Amino acid sequence: MNQEESAAVVLERVKQAGAEGDLIIDEGESLTLKTREGELEEHKVSSLLIFGLRVVKDDRVGTAYSEASDADALASMVDQALLNATFAKVEPDEKIAGNSGQLRTDDNVLCPSDTPTIDDKILFVQSMENELAAKDKIKNVPSNGLSDGINQRHVFTTGGLCASTKQRHCSAASFALMEEGDKNVMEGVVRVSRQFSDLNYQEIVEGTYDRCLSLLDGTAIPTKHYDVIFDEDNQTSLFGIFSSMFSAQSAKDGVNPMRDKIGEQIADTRLNLSDQPLLTDGFGYALFDAEGTATKTTPLIVEGQLRTLVHNSATATHFDVITTGHASRSPKSTLGVSLHQMHIDKGTDSPSSLFAREYLLITDLSGLHSGANPISGQFSFGASGYLMKEGERIQPVRNITVAGNFYDMLKKISAIGDELYWDQYRGSLMPRIRFSDVAISG
Amino acid sequence: MLDSRISDSVVDYAISLGADFAELFIERNQVSTVATLSNEVQAVRSGIDFGIGIRLVYGFKVLYGYTNKTNEQELKRIITELATKDLRDPITQKVNFDYRQPTDHHPAVETLTVDAGIESKIAYLLAADQSARAASNMISQTSGSCLQREQHIELFNSEGLHTEDTRNYIRASLTAYASDGGEQATGSWNDGGLRGWEIKDDINAEKTGEEAARQALVNLSAKACPSGRMPVVLGNGFGGVIFHEACGHLLETTAVAKKASVFHDQMGEMIASPVVSAVDDGTMSNEWGSINIDDEGLETQRTQLIKDGKLTNFLADRIGAAQTGYERTGSGRRQSYHFAPASRMRNTFIEPGDAELDDMISSIDKGIYAPHMGGGSVQPGTGEFNFAVQEGYYVENGKIQHPVKAATLISTGPAVLKEISMIGKDFSLACGMCGSVSGAVPTTVGQATLKVDDILVGGNA
Repeated sequence: MNQEESAAVVLERVKQAGAEGDLIIDEGESLTLKTREGELEEHKVSSLLIFGLRVVKDDRVGTAYSEASDADALASMVDQALLNATFAKVEPDEKIAGNSGQLRTDDNVLCPSDTPTIDDKILFVQSMENELAAKDKIKNVPSNGLSDGINQRHVFTTGGLCASTKQRHCSAASFALMEEGDKNVMEGVVRVSRQFSDLNYQEIVEGTYDRCLSLLDGTAIPTKHYDVIFDEDNQTSLFGIFSSMFSAQSAKDGVNPMRDKIGEQIADTRLNLSDQPLLTDGFGYALFDAEGTATKTTPLIVEGQLRTLVHNSATATHFDVITTGHASRSPKSTLGVSLHQMHIDKGTDSPSSLFAREYLLITDLSGLHSGANPISGQFSFGASGYLMKEGERIQPVRNITVAGNFYDMLKKISAIGDELYWDQYRGSLMPRIRFSDVAISG
Repeated sequence: MLDSRISDSVVDYAISLGADFAELFIERNQVSTVATLSNEVQAVRSGIDFGIGIRLVYGFKVLYGYTNKTNEQELKRIITELATKDLRDPITQKVNFDYRQPTDHHPAVETLTVDAGIESKIAYLLAADQSARAASNMISQTSGSCLQREQHIELFNSEGLHTEDTRNYIRASLTAYASDGGEQATGSWNDGGLRGWEIKDDINAEKTGEEAARQALVNLSAKACPSGRMPVVLGNGFGGVIFHEACGHLLETTAVAKKASVFHDQMGEMIASPVVSAVDDGTMSNEWGSINIDDEGLETQRTQLIKDGKLTNFLADRIGAAQTGYERTGSGRRQSYHFAPASRMRNTFIEPGDAELDDMISSIDKGIYAPHMGGGSVQPGTGEFNFAVQEGYYVENGKIQHPVKAATLISTGPAVLKEISMIGKDFSLACGMCGSVSGAVPTTVGQATLKVDDILVGGNA
């Protein structure tokens, strides 16, 4: 059976049980190559097929998944989901979204043809490591690899929806350990693309080497409050960690402090933040969400004012609004909400005003998953970067912590740059933002 | 789970392509999760993971593939694709499979195969919720979860190994949210083990709720944490995350072989304060991080990592042992068939000492007491680590003053091991999930309360 036929069998069994349902089928194929000391250390080939079913019966929701695709396994998955639903609380807000018809992404854009040989790819990773390892003060290259994969997602519903997307994802990364005397530092660069031929290992080598060399002599700086600019990767991480501030699911669950602040000023008036899932240059591109709802640009903060939270159909019903197309669900999980591709409008500050006087440029944050509390906004991270003045590096900085309250920081923006940058995973597009008066401990 | 004739043919095929070693890892993982939100069932989920991992080794090179398909042709297709750059005449012969059933040291009674026990789990979580919310009207809500899984693994390799094992995991947890109208804070507690739902007879829903609520209320009243270098007293149980992050990862041959560990050339040397002895033990009965055999089919062991400050062992899997020359320790672990195995921790702890908590606190002029730690991470190459304080107190003039929030501890593995000056008697273990190159595996961390003389505390006071 192909995926459409499997979905038809599964959803027919759901309908026969008097329920409605949606079925996610995720498929993937990938190749991963890693080298160590010039030799191919890992060569990984995979294929994956997984079915995730959600059923709604008598206002109760049940889910089940299966990595086996034979008819018995799929029938068992349906029965298990129906059984699980009998234990669930009555949830009148959660229905199978009333989407129907067909949605399909453009393979020419998201899956461009590019047919490198395995030899091309092996040469790429070996050259990347060898050139990096040969550089002055590089002790070794503990992590050096390339991956190339195609992921497909299909969403089918008992209402007749058939939505499919197929995306290619190539990535290369190299992290090197530099040593000099008793000083050491480990830094790296990641690059992603939809085509292998767009990846340039020399750019990764030079980028990694520059990061190592410039941070090697880093030392702590005196404990006090500084103006801070995060580079594009760490600024994306910071906004990502606190992105549940936009989640209607968190609001419904009572753990979103922004729940009652729609229409209120929550940030500096120069901040305009939106979710833009249809930017095809980004890897957060999504034509439809996990319920098969077509996506669109959603303004979230406009001139510092919170405009809306992001919704799936269940949270939208709960708050009596329309879904914003932000349903999230993996085959193994229940329905949730998440952003696709965060975007902040560029500001008006030229480099000369953005980088005026003294400030701290943060290029590494550690402890992101454990050092933040999205409910209170409090955070405390390990950090590295550079003490800067008028855009010039004064000294590299390491072994410091940066701490504060993210929600307060949004009101303490002193400048927004006039250029946009993708982060290295191409998941968000933002200008540089200068935050004033941030607590740094050295 | 896989016909041994197919296994035989597939492994034989891999060896015919010149591999030094070939292995099939077949996994069927049944999962059941109950989640509650305050006094309601939020979700009941279940599923089956199934697949086959294929590992070929040429020298130190690992070729790995996996698939959901069980037919011989697909398995051979993956092998062909993996070996395409390494084809050579056979250099070894496959040994006939010799089936061995490992001894089960971790008996489980109420397994998923017997009964998922959904109603009993719901009752437990709702009782914990009730207990938490009874603690104070500032406990605004709770979220609970009970995760049970039954992982059946089967291994075949070209050295004649054929073995299988079943691992039953159970973990129950509750997070309490406290709110005073403006601020919100959280507290949590969890229990788990390598056993079935009979764990309910040894854990207590009321105490789980009370402890989660207590932590949340303490954090709600917490003040901003001072920052700078100062002594820190780390609590028992999950306080052991400091050793896990600061040292344990650096003792895995995954890091040692690459010389990405600062300890790679320090075997036999004093790497810690003389009061520190540390162990990684996979054999502890029914503990969350225990196993009968590792994911390479080797019986697991107890490994003394540090004795009186001196480095005595690394944790080695098959490839790590070959690369470093150290003996395998039954530590080859993986999250699932998606991953090739790697050297990983099991139940990792610092052995208890004889110091008293009062003496540790009274020795501090200005510092932090952190009875409960949060998660953390480490950069293997440099040993730089960080972890969050889940529950912390400011200490001044030898006395505990007030709770503090948003504190992070920053140091390096080598530095902090030498700064441990006092270790208490109140040893305990705590469950966690450890993420690394071979995915997320169940591990426990543990220690008695101990004092670190100097560490960088990040706070926002």
